[in-house]
Amino acid sequence: MRSAPPIERLVANLKRLPGIGEKSATRLAFHLLGSAENQVQELADAIARVKKDIVLCEVCFDLTDRSPCEICRAPDRDTATICVVEEPADLAAVEGTGGFKGRYHVLGGALSPIDGIGPEALRIRELEARVAPGEVREVILATNPNAEGDATAHYLADRLRPSGVRLTRIAYGMPLGGDLEYADHVTIGRSLANRSELE
Amino acid sequence: MTAPAREALVLRVVDFGESDRIVHLLTPHAGRLAAIAKGARRSVRRFPGTLDVFHHLRVQIAERRRPGGLARLEQARLVGWFPGLRSDATRFALGCFVLELLDRLAPENAHPQDARRLFRFAREALALVERAPADARLRVLLELVALDALGLRPELDDCVRCGGGPPAGFLVAEGGVVCGTCAQRVAGGLLPVRPGTLRALSGALRLPLARLDRLVLAGPLLAEARELVARLARFHIGLELRSDGFLDEILDGPAAGAA
Repeated sequence: MRSAPPIERLVANLKRLPGIGEKSATRLAFHLLGSAENQVQELADAIARVKKDIVLCEVCFDLTDRSPCEICRAPDRDTATICVVEEPADLAAVEGTGGFKGRYHVLGGALSPIDGIGPEALRIRELEARVAPGEVREVILATNPNAEGDATAHYLADRLRPSGVRLTRIAYGMPLGGDLEYADHVTIGRSLANRSELE
Repeated sequence: MTAPAREALVLRVVDFGESDRIVHLLTPHAGRLAAIAKGARRSVRRFPGTLDVFHHLRVQIAERRRPGGLARLEQARLVGWFPGLRSDATRFALGCFVLELLDRLAPENAHPQDARRLFRFAREALALVERAPADARLRVLLELVALDALGLRPELDDCVRCGGGPPAGFLVAEGGVVCGTCAQRVAGGLLPVRPGTLRALSGALRLPLARLDRLVLAGPLLAEARELVARLARFHIGLELRSDGFLDEILDGPAAGAA
């Protein structure tokens, strides 16, 4: 059965969102139709404003509503340590641990020849410019532990090594709640290689 | 129906939807195939640490439910990987170059004999990239032998028109050298190439892949070889490889020579 054109248009737009298929889009559309006018307006405003108000931080390139972002402005953050991540979502994941008190640098992706993403497509020169003045003592390479992320980390290490900065890579190993029986032998091998003393 | 476990090499992985991945595989039984790994981004048990480029797997694949649909990857277990390709950006770029060639040119539903040959080529080529000096010479030679493995072997010894010699130049459109007599009847597009360049490239096609790095190719011969192979690939493949630009950037860029 065909719905009224405005509903069809809404369903078609919702379907463009990741993970939303025809059924979910239709359910969401009818939920919105049944919602109070002010709630629908608030949602529409929030969607419109997020595109208008969000910019990239001029220092770390995270998404922010004010540049420099809150983390780059914070006086109590360690300016000598930079954690390099691929995307803003990765920054949010590291920040969510509450355990890192340094600053960040968002590369904007990882090297991926098959997708045509080379060094010039990433914010590598900007990272070098941040490291060059000499205040930064450690760069933590927190790109994803897949082939692209590993290759990017090694490429960055080659580029940054002449600066004399300490270069570290996030550890590889078993996830919390993981099961050795189901882990691949590379992960288990790396976990053993990176084992640490029990305190 | 789920087929028995088979070997596969991961050529490319693309995120799909909220939690799925589409995996492009090269298999020794059917050539290239794409399969969907449902829930692969969420599940830590079904595909742990397996769906990554360069990974050599044992996979179980359910056949397509309808023609033109995607096969379904049910399970994957890691058999081997090429760690040296992840720890050096130039090797990574060269490895990706090999994978892209195979991903775009290897046939689907290949004859088992061809599929086995291509699979063996892929593994040997990646092993070579992992240990040989990663430079412009290796790139040219790899591209040439990859084209040969994919069925585009240039004629580098005898004239493609009359079978005679010696070569007076390379005719890209006809995929081979032409002799002096035949060259006079060529309207255009003849690429002048030194005998040393042709000897080196011809030698590359005869050498076992594992010994390709022993071949000497440098200076103007390397530049000529690069031109010949690149034009041959562009003309006969008819597409630009995305990893080509990356390789140019990384072989000439600030990290060049770090390998």
